[in-house]
Amino acid sequence: MYNKKKKQIVGIVISVIILIVIVIMSNIKIDNLSYVQSFANFFVMPVQNGLTYLKNWISGNNQFFTDVSKLREENENLKQENSKLEQDLREFEIIKSENETLKEYVNLKDKYTEYTTIPAYVINKDISNYNSCIVINVGSNDGIKAGMAVISDKGLVGQIISVTSNTAKVQTIVDTSSSISCTLTASRDTIIARGTLEANNRLTATYIPTEASIIEGDTIETSGLGGVYPKGVIVGTVTKVVNTKNIVDRYAHIKTAVDFSKIETVLVITQ
Amino acid sequence: MKKTITIIGLILTFLIIYFLQANFFSWFTIAGVKPNLFIILVLFISLFVGMKYGIVFGLIFGLFLDIVIGKTIEINTIMLTVVAILGGYFEKNFSKDSKITIMLMVIGSTFIFEIGSYVFSIIMLNTNIEILSFIRIILIEVLYNAILTVILYPFIQIIGYKIEDIYKGQKILTRYF
Repeated sequence: MYNKKKKQIVGIVISVIILIVIVIMSNIKIDNLSYVQSFANFFVMPVQNGLTYLKNWISGNNQFFTDVSKLREENENLKQENSKLEQDLREFEIIKSENETLKEYVNLKDKYTEYTTIPAYVINKDISNYNSCIVINVGSNDGIKAGMAVISDKGLVGQIISVTSNTAKVQTIVDTSSSISCTLTASRDTIIARGTLEANNRLTATYIPTEASIIEGDTIETSGLGGVYPKGVIVGTVTKVVNTKNIVDRYAHIKTAVDFSKIETVLVITQ
Repeated sequence: MKKTITIIGLILTFLIIYFLQANFFSWFTIAGVKPNLFIILVLFISLFVGMKYGIVFGLIFGLFLDIVIGKTIEINTIMLTVVAILGGYFEKNFSKDSKITIMLMVIGSTFIFEIGSYVFSIIMLNTNIEILSFIRIILIEVLYNAILTVILYPFIQIIGYKIEDIYKGQKILTRYF
């Protein structure tokens, strides 16, 4: 009985460790080797420190440890100072974050002066792997209606699909059922940008005119066709053009201007 | 009294799972894919409390999810109810005593829930069809749910049989003797 319980606990611990390892491994970038470095340091540094201490001891540089009581007192003072500094730092971080949010609002307002807008916070995000909706903290009481466009300081976010008195649901442009009419900023050719399952910060550009010249780095903005999104709002940048045998079928990857995993504040265009 | 407490406990569990899915699992992902703990919860209710309860909870939980964050009021409602019905079928035909069986039940339910949800969203929301990406997501999600089942299995077993005693009482014994 005891052994069975012990085995169960060991099983759970191993499963949790495996899960954490899988999650970490699947989310880190290969070129980011600082983790490997830290891991190696974890093993090497204690030995290295020990050897350095031994070397100092042999060469007579061990006088740090002579006045232990003085060191203890100094340590206490430093600890107190450190905790005070940590508290100050925390307060500073809070003020900094408030300042950034306010700045974001001001920037947003300045950038889109031609539109009447209402600022809002993102209060909920989608829980599914296939859809990408967000919920914001303004609703019909603030004059929000379904079909209104939503933007952020970086670019286009999506459109309102349903409203309650105090909240509104926004279908983002990266949602798999979203498609928007866009224009290539340089050549003014019109394309359709669709949400994709592959990544939550990427769109697929389709219906690219055969004569259109589209290259990596091209900026994409809304065309204003369709009546939902206003003209000229930045959507993203072309990161890859995929040429197929038939030029009609070629498509491109667009990296969205907005980082949907970090989005916190948005503006709803009411007029 | 015990039944009421159990129901409140299940609703609280649902809310905890909801907040975990919306916050913790939005960044604790395997290659950007989140698990789906609602499937495990509804399957658990259907297996240990009963299929009827599973269907009712599946309907309510699904409706809640569709209202709060969904785009239509059908997909989660229908698919969580389907999971509850599946749970009833599993309960009749398979043993709940084995970790492997429970894991296979979760894997099967996750496959059916996700395929159903995707087909529904293609039909009703005009979602673009991306088979390869969908297969990648579903396989990772199934793996994630299976790992979570292994971790949660001892709790599922202990709590499950306690709840089963409350709801089914002697019924369980007549099946074996």
